[in-house]
Amino acid sequence: MRLRLGTVLATGALVLLSVYVLFPFGWMLVTALKTEQEALRIPSTWWPHQPTVDAFVVMWTRKNYGLYFLNSTVISLSTAVLSSAVGALAAYGFSRFPLRGGSFLMGFILTTQMLPGVLLVGPYFRVLTALGLYDTRTGLVIAFLTICLPFATWMMKGFIDGVPRELDEAARVDGCGWLGIFTRVVLPLSLPGLVATTLFAFLLAWGDLLWVSTLTHSESMVTVTLAIARTVQEFYVNWPELMAGALIGGLPSIALYLALQRWFVQGLTAGAVKG
Amino acid sequence: MPDASRAAAWDGPRRGFRIREPAVGYLFVAPAVGLLVAVLVYPALTTLRLSFSVPGGLGARHYIQLLSDPLFWQVVRQTAVFVVASVGAHLLLGLGAALAVAGPIPARGLFRVVALLPWVVPDVVAGIVWKWILNPLYGVLNDLLLAAGLIAQPLEWLTRPGLAPLSVILANVWRGFPFVMVILLAGLQAIPQDLYEAASLDGAGPWARFRFVTLPGLRKVLVVALALDTIWEVRRFGLVQAMTGGGPGTLTEVLSTQVFKQYFHFYRFEYASAMAVAMTVLLLAVSLPYVRMIMQEE
Repeated sequence: MRLRLGTVLATGALVLLSVYVLFPFGWMLVTALKTEQEALRIPSTWWPHQPTVDAFVVMWTRKNYGLYFLNSTVISLSTAVLSSAVGALAAYGFSRFPLRGGSFLMGFILTTQMLPGVLLVGPYFRVLTALGLYDTRTGLVIAFLTICLPFATWMMKGFIDGVPRELDEAARVDGCGWLGIFTRVVLPLSLPGLVATTLFAFLLAWGDLLWVSTLTHSESMVTVTLAIARTVQEFYVNWPELMAGALIGGLPSIALYLALQRWFVQGLTAGAVKG
Repeated sequence: MPDASRAAAWDGPRRGFRIREPAVGYLFVAPAVGLLVAVLVYPALTTLRLSFSVPGGLGARHYIQLLSDPLFWQVVRQTAVFVVASVGAHLLLGLGAALAVAGPIPARGLFRVVALLPWVVPDVVAGIVWKWILNPLYGVLNDLLLAAGLIAQPLEWLTRPGLAPLSVILANVWRGFPFVMVILLAGLQAIPQDLYEAASLDGAGPWARFRFVTLPGLRKVLVVALALDTIWEVRRFGLVQAMTGGGPGTLTEVLSTQVFKQYFHFYRFEYASAMAVAMTVLLLAVSLPYVRMIMQEE
């Protein structure tokens, strides 16, 4: 009987939590589907009386969201692929070789995770300008490596440590060199980890506001997050359009996460739970 | 079963070159370390140098100026409140939610997937949607509270000095607790079930089981969640920037938004550098115990 009561309470808590978690998303969508006039009605209407997708259409036609979306995608994908590839190589090195100074280097990489972005933005602004990379996508990818590469290395090390060394030996016997062991044995076996790492790097790059606000200035380099952050600071805000923009900005993260969530949650928690 | 004769004959990679094994390891590690030195260490040192540069040489003038600036201390306090309140709420709500969802309840698998969504979307999106929900005129929260009779007047969530910091924290709690919940949930599942059974046999009630089985079992995961979350919340920028831009006045400024302003609105590069270095020192001091713990495990 007591167990039943516990289940009822837990189910109630779960319902409340779901409402808390999901309501803002629902409200974004409801607002985005309203006319501006209706969005500004007091009190708010719970459901759009004349649902319209105008806000979304405006984003893609009159405003430049197609371009912003492309910028965000190119930058985030490049960052994700680059940082997880370099991170995986390093993780393999740390995991499989008795490097002198190896633990010092791992500590160094862990510490770099703690450096705040604002410590670096000033020099970036100057150096990228000097290199002609200010206001370019390449410049942003370089900057995002500072956020993504350290944790990608750490995350991948956790996964590669989990691949039994006996398999390395077996592959070696079969004639694989070190690179072959890495690409044919270790990497395929830590694929869930690689997926999780790549997705995490993508989410970090996609969600950034600090670097895109400091390292770009022209309209052709604007990303989705920068676009919506700029809009909300304007004196006059069209809320249905802004909510449509916010949904567009959140959608790729949501879609990728939902598609890969099994590996992602597994990968995210593996390091924390291990040991 | 590996072929013993072949294994015995094998004495190194079969390509034409022979490199001693550890040396190969350095080759794998080199790109990451090299990149980090170039894209991270070098700029960090540049900031450090800039923060000490005064006309005609080096000096601590910017730090003296910083430490005697009431605004700096105000922002440090605000950052501390923001971080402590956010992380504390993340842990409490995350633990409560994880415990609630750990049991056999309908649709909990679905909930687990969905619950991470606020954490997955850009923090700018979280800031913006809460700014809209908390809008003083058209916001839905005021509608609800008015309808429920809890308030008599619409509240100015983001512009009233006493309320604005609270509102920003509120949005950040929504954004951040799911991560803590998900990793605590994984931690809960790693606690062997027979520990609970043994405790029950010894006559432990629900509270005693929580206190003596669950909490000790979660210790490590809790420390990791606490450390990671603290590091992330000290660095948080987009949510605050999108929600209030640091206002009203400077009441919701945190260190990252303030350094950003000193750089790019006021163009006080040396002063901003000093503030960024101070922020880094604070962050490193807070996270040092965590680094030590992780490194000991390695």
